[in-house]
Parts: sequence; C-alpha cells; structure tokens
Amino acid sequence: MAANANSLIRVTDLKKHYNKGAIKALDGVTVDINRGDVMVVIGPSGSGKSTFLRSLNLMEEPTDGSIVFGGVDITKKKVMNDEGKMVKLDIDLHRRKMGMVFQHFNLFPHMTILENMTLAPIQVKHVPKAEAEEKALALLDRVGLKDRANAYPIQLSGGQKQRVAIVRALAMEPEVMLFDEPTSALDPEMVGEVLDVMKELAHEGMTMVVVTHEMGFAREVGNRVLFMADGKLVEEGSPEEIFDHPQHHRLQDFLSKVL
Amino acid sequence: MFTAAGFAKTWEYVSLFKEGLICTVSMSFLTVVFGFVLALMLAIMRLSNFRPFRALGLTKDGRLRDGGPLLALSRFNPLDFLATAYVEILRSTPVMVQVFVIYYVVLGNVDLPNFKLFGMIRFDRFFPGVVALSMNSGAYLCEIIRAGIQSIDGGQSEAARSLGLSSTQTMRHIILPQAIRNILPPIANEFVVIIKESSVCWTIGVQEIMYAVSATKGATYRIAEPLVIATLLYFCLCFPTSKIIAYFERRMSRGSKR
Repeated sequence: MAANANSLIRVTDLKKHYNKGAIKALDGVTVDINRGDVMVVIGPSGSGKSTFLRSLNLMEEPTDGSIVFGGVDITKKKVMNDEGKMVKLDIDLHRRKMGMVFQHFNLFPHMTILENMTLAPIQVKHVPKAEAEEKALALLDRVGLKDRANAYPIQLSGGQKQRVAIVRALAMEPEVMLFDEPTSALDPEMVGEVLDVMKELAHEGMTMVVVTHEMGFAREVGNRVLFMADGKLVEEGSPEEIFDHPQHHRLQDFLSKVL
Repeated sequence: MFTAAGFAKTWEYVSLFKEGLICTVSMSFLTVVFGFVLALMLAIMRLSNFRPFRALGLTKDGRLRDGGPLLALSRFNPLDFLATAYVEILRSTPVMVQVFVIYYVVLGNVDLPNFKLFGMIRFDRFFPGVVALSMNSGAYLCEIIRAGIQSIDGGQSEAARSLGLSSTQTMRHIILPQAIRNILPPIANEFVVIIKESSVCWTIGVQEIMYAVSATKGATYRIAEPLVIATLLYFCLCFPTSKIIAYFERRMSRGSKR
C-alpha cells in the first residue's frame, strides 16, 4: 500500500498466533486507516475481527507485524526517542489517544457516571476536576444523559450504559475510536439509540473502526468495509462494493446468511 | 459426669478463664492484623509483574519470541515463586507443627523480654504464638486477597487501560476498591477461624482459654466442667461474630449485583 499523508494507523502483516502457531487468530492483516475513515469490520464469528480491533491498542499483543500509530510502531517493546536513544515504549501514551468501546460496556460499577467520565482526564491528563466535570456534563448532554450524571451504572439501561461508555472514551479526546461489537449485548429496542450516537460521531468526522453485526450501519455510515475470515482480510471496499457486488465466495456466502 | 460440686470447684478458677478470654481475643485480633499485612505483601508478590529475565524473551529486533525455554525463562517471576512456595508450605502443614517450629526452633534461642501483657499474659509465650498464627493466616489471607482481586472482571481493567491509565492507577482506582468489597467478609471469617485455631497455642504455654482448662484440670481434677465453660466461651465468641459477618455480607452484595 502506498504511503499516504492522511494515514492515521498503518497495520502491516499483523499476526496473532496461539499455541505456537497452531491457532492463527490473525494471519497477516495489512490495512491503512486514514483520518476520518469510518471503517466497519464484518465477518463470521471467529474470523479474527475482534482480535484485529483489540490489537490496534495492544489489548492483544500481536505475534508479528507492525502497527504504526502517530509515526511510532507500537508493537515494538523499545522505540527510538527524539535523542536517538532506545527507550521503553510507553503504551499508555498511545492508548489515551485511542478510545475504545466494549461489547459489555465495562463501566466502573463503584463510581457514578460523572466519576466514570472524569477519572481518566483527571488521573491521566491532569485536567482540573471542575474543568473535567464541566466537559463530562457537556458530553453527557449530547447523548441526553446529563440528568443521570450522579447515578451509578447499575441504575442505567444497557443502551444508556453504552452511550455513557462512548462519551467516557470521548472525554479523553481520542484521535480514533475503536468499537468492539458495541450493540451485541443490547436488547433490540436499545440498539438504535447507540447507533444514533455513533452515526453522529461519524458525521462529525471522527475516525472510527467498528466491529459489528449491524449490516445496516455498515452500509449507511461506513465509508470502508473490511470482510474478514479465518484471520485474513478477505475483501475490502466501499459499502456498495461489498454489499452489492461481493467478489469472494466467502463474502457472498456470509452475506447470504446475514442479509 | 457433671456435678454441682465440680462446677463450684471450677468456679474458684474463673479468673483464669477471664484471662484466657482476653488472651484469646487479643491474640486473634493481632493475628488478623499482622496476618493481613503479611498477606498483602504476599498477594502483591504473587500478582506482581516482576520478570528480571524479560529481555531473554525478545528477539534481536525487539519482538516477543514464539516459544522455547528462553520465553519460559523470560516469564519467570521470582517474587511470585517465593510467595507461592510460602503459601503452599504453610497451607500444607498443621498449625501445631508451625507453632512448635516457631517457638522451639526459630525463637528457641532468642531471649524474649519477660514481661506480662495486661499484667497477666506472659509475653515470651504470647509473642511466638502470635508470630506462628500470623504466618499461618497470612498464607490463607493471601489467597483470599488474590482471589478477590482476580475475581474482578477483566473488562474492568481493559476499560481502564484503554483510557490510558497505567497498571498501578488501574489497580488503585478500579480493581482494589471493587476487590475490597469481596475481600472483607472472608477476612472477617478468617478472624473466626483464628479464634478457634489459637487454641493450639496452649501447647506452648500461651494463657488462652484452653490453657485455663488444663490449669483448672490440674488444680481440681475436674475436666468436664472446665471444658463446658471453654466450649461456651468459644461458641459465644464465634457464633455471633459469624452471624454479624453474614449480615453485612448480605447487605454489601445487595447493591453491587449487575
């Protein structure tokens, strides 16, 4: 793939093996994620799409390959610093620029919604508490949950929890948002409210990588769709190309089952 | 078996039982405190990520090896190994043996100060008893703490790390506050267990409840009546305590179910 000035994350030949290579969760994935991309990753379960997403912020440690984010290969344990010395890579520094939303929300149950949202800005970015709270309330207002700021996660519905999880990640002002099946654990009537928030985010120009089974969302909001199977990137294209003119028989087979 | 005269005679030595009660309670309390501190250190060792041979697991270009003995060695954590060995040894040997080893072997040649706690409890017996029981309960409490920490859903730490929090910050703000809820009831239960186990310390002359029984027996030639009193004392200590713990356990679990 040619070098691209707009590239935000460049993934090259990414591999994740288990049991000394007996299981290949990721088997050489190469893709360029550009600023402003809404990249939707689809594929049958076990195809490696979640592993791919979780590798991007090193929740999973890849076996081989590289992930260049902000000019740094974050799969390396040691990197060259500005003075040309090899230093330990501080992954936390990169992770704070990548927001992540999980299937099971993972809100912190012992903290209020507001505390959930201000924890990282205060602890990691050392934002003053008042400022962090003001910003959190503004974000909550955007997703219609300002009045629940002092509630605990247990008092919220699934859809509300996931909306909080999204704005919690946004509170760190990330450069890219990673969504790992954000609607899969929701009751059907709550899927819409979460997708609406994601849609709005996409329209604002946020770079997003979304692993999902929501084909409607992929078609409507995504500008690039990746189809994965057996740890490989099988087909990539615009939503029209993928959904209306699928080339690979695995993709045709998959679409015939889900559409 | 029991006679009124027997109880009357035993009653003459009731002050021994009072002392025994104070001794048992204070010994158990100190044991839980010291045991907890020890357990905390052990748990931190067991959960630590201290790997001095980490570099051996990397290839020349700084990537993780696929497998082999060097990878295994790079994952070796000597702190974890030591703590695990300690816990397994202490949990696999009887308390009585541990008490004897501490009293006769480890502290056998140490001249302990010979004063009396509360004016009655011999420190040179009390101290080795507390040391042995603390070492024992430290092993059990370590596993309670470790299990409490590991019972927190992995998604919690993933969410925290994905927000950019370091592993220390994650432990402090996310894992520990939730783990303590799970840990407190079993720790309180361990207190009940120690009250009962501390009875073995009469064998090294700690003046706790069972010591009062044997002293009274020697003086009165009665055994059934002193034992009844000891049984009642232990029951009155342990039963209400465990009921109170169960009550708080129910209350604490009420709000946290997901």
